[in-house]
Amino acid sequence: MNEQPSKRESEPLIAALQDNDSRVSRRAFVRRLGAMGAGTIFFSASAPKLAQGQYGVSDADGLSAQQLTAMYRDMLKIRLWETKVKDLLLAGGFRGVAHLYVGQEAIAVGVCSALRKDDYIASNHRGHGHLIAKGGDLKLMLAEITHKATGYCKGYGGSLHITDIGLGILGMNGIVGASHLFAAGAAYGVKVKGADQVAVSFGGDGSIQGNFFSSAANAAATWKLPWIGVIENNGFQIWVRASDVYGITDLAQRAAGYGIEGRVVDGNDVLAVHGVAKYAVEKARAGGGPTLIECKTYRWYDHYGAGGAKAGVDGAFGLGYRSDRELRDWMAKDPIPRFRKFLVSEKVLTDQQADDIVVEVRQAVEEAAKFAHEQPAPKPEDGLLNVFAKGAVPLHTS
Amino acid sequence: MPKSMSYAILEAIQGEMRRDKLLTLFYEYQRPTARWGDRSINLESEFGRLRARFCAIDEQWIVGGVLGMAMIGVPAIAHIPSMTTFIPYELMFNHAGKLRHMTGGQAAFPMVLWADMAGRQAFQAGQHADAGLESAYARLAGLKVVVPSNPYDAKGLMISAIRDVDPVVFCHYSMPATGPEVPDEPYTVPIGEAIVRTEGNDLTIVGYAPQTTEIAKAVVELKKDGISAEFIDPRTLAPLEGVMEPILKSVRKTGRLLTSDDGSYSFCNCAEIIARVAEAVPGVKVKRLAFPDAPPPGAPEMLQHMRVDAAKIVAAAKKLVRG
Repeated sequence: MNEQPSKRESEPLIAALQDNDSRVSRRAFVRRLGAMGAGTIFFSASAPKLAQGQYGVSDADGLSAQQLTAMYRDMLKIRLWETKVKDLLLAGGFRGVAHLYVGQEAIAVGVCSALRKDDYIASNHRGHGHLIAKGGDLKLMLAEITHKATGYCKGYGGSLHITDIGLGILGMNGIVGASHLFAAGAAYGVKVKGADQVAVSFGGDGSIQGNFFSSAANAAATWKLPWIGVIENNGFQIWVRASDVYGITDLAQRAAGYGIEGRVVDGNDVLAVHGVAKYAVEKARAGGGPTLIECKTYRWYDHYGAGGAKAGVDGAFGLGYRSDRELRDWMAKDPIPRFRKFLVSEKVLTDQQADDIVVEVRQAVEEAAKFAHEQPAPKPEDGLLNVFAKGAVPLHTS
Repeated sequence: MPKSMSYAILEAIQGEMRRDKLLTLFYEYQRPTARWGDRSINLESEFGRLRARFCAIDEQWIVGGVLGMAMIGVPAIAHIPSMTTFIPYELMFNHAGKLRHMTGGQAAFPMVLWADMAGRQAFQAGQHADAGLESAYARLAGLKVVVPSNPYDAKGLMISAIRDVDPVVFCHYSMPATGPEVPDEPYTVPIGEAIVRTEGNDLTIVGYAPQTTEIAKAVVELKKDGISAEFIDPRTLAPLEGVMEPILKSVRKTGRLLTSDDGSYSFCNCAEIIARVAEAVPGVKVKRLAFPDAPPPGAPEMLQHMRVDAAKIVAAAKKLVRG
């Protein structure tokens, strides 16, 4: 396990998929699967004890072929949409910023596939994946992160703040930790309504030290709120290693202090994430209260933007605060080929069908890019609207 | 004697909680109970603990939880103690005030931050006797800020705040039970409307909350001295556009503006009112009275020396009118 991929095997997945010769592309893809696909456990043996629980268990038997295929498609949507954003960033003149989620797709998809449409999620600055996994529209998202008038937020929000309230998404949020607090508040509101929805917050390893998380966790534990806190531990808080600023390795350990059940899961294993999320969702719906789920994963790109990245090459190299070998190690644990290998071996999909989905998603992404490019910029005076529900604020120039 | 400030506010919330079965109140140690004569209100016993929720000493939860609830359409009130005014500031600044705009109008926060305000009381040094912090909320985009000066306005403004789909900061200074009688039934005092408390011709005096007591005394003294003061209580501090209308009208008549504020001199809310008047009324004479830029001392001798009172208002008004 953890063996370094050979030079050929470390060729970028996306570059291979973008090859115009589809036969070569498929062959390259399949070769890569052989090297990367195996589901491996890669934590130290002592870690789970601290997390007062066990790794998430695979729930593959509980998922239909249709559901499994939808999960695969959603992971590809995230990967290819974000890779397109990277390419646009590198091309220059991009009307916005982006905090790329690539590498962490199994978490958004594993969690959101366990949710109902009317459940709530609260997202963070690295939230494109959450939005896509909850059903976000690729076109409206790309229009929004380029601040166009017809984007999800009419160009007001952009990358860190895209949302579709209609999908139960309580916003991406650029203030670290706020997602936990808002989701816990929404979970309280669900109880007031007498409904059975759950509210999930996504936050990084940096999201649990400020007091927003503490307030959310305490309230959720005290009143058994249907709240599920998901910590996407990708090892870095902006450019600082989590291990340099935390005295513990397994952040789910914090759960015990609040009276919450904590779980640690391989965040690159979509079935494992789905399994533990499903457990937490069913428990919350039944009145059993909150769960804290820590997903171990890795960020392929820089904190934001496309520094160290190249067109046609996956991952950001030479970043200084991490080694290229460390990145390649994690890229070898890519959640997408791993899941694809499982789907093919289980005869959920043939290789051809799996490839067809790649082509279909890539086409949707290209259409989204074309749509976004063609959309009009907002009217300047619209910046004065939407401060309050009614009217505009004065410009005060006369 | 009218109902007390606290009774009027709870009566407002009680009526709204009866009207809207989702409206929820989070509070800390300030139990939602009040008495007036032989009548009493107890929101916890009437509506249950789920909707009248006693919380930990955790203003981040009280306000953040309310924001999360409001986002899914459960209107809610967050009641925080006076010494914690700024603990939820980040939540109001970066979330309550901005998310509607940032989401292109998708997000709404039908919530009220019911903030107890301390006023300048002796024997409550520094942290428990600060005042004027409403101006820090009033300068934030996307928030409405109201500051009632009597029980009648308190009840009407609280009902308006609850029914408003935008976030409202309700600054609750403890005020004596004076002013109009408070009707039992619900009524609204519109957000964004000032009120002329006393009409006059020689100068305009603007002040709110605890300063209204001092200004009212000063107006009587000035009248004895032949000076006719027009006293305007803004009641709302944000948005200020509607509030400025009667103030500008008054200053255009009197040519003089005196403001009196319990907040610290620099950036007190009346400084904003003066700036707007100066922009709109050429040649106006203005004077700002406010607490010095210092923490409030606990000893009454020091506090009294520093706080604006009726005597200081009278002196400043005379100077403004007679030079």
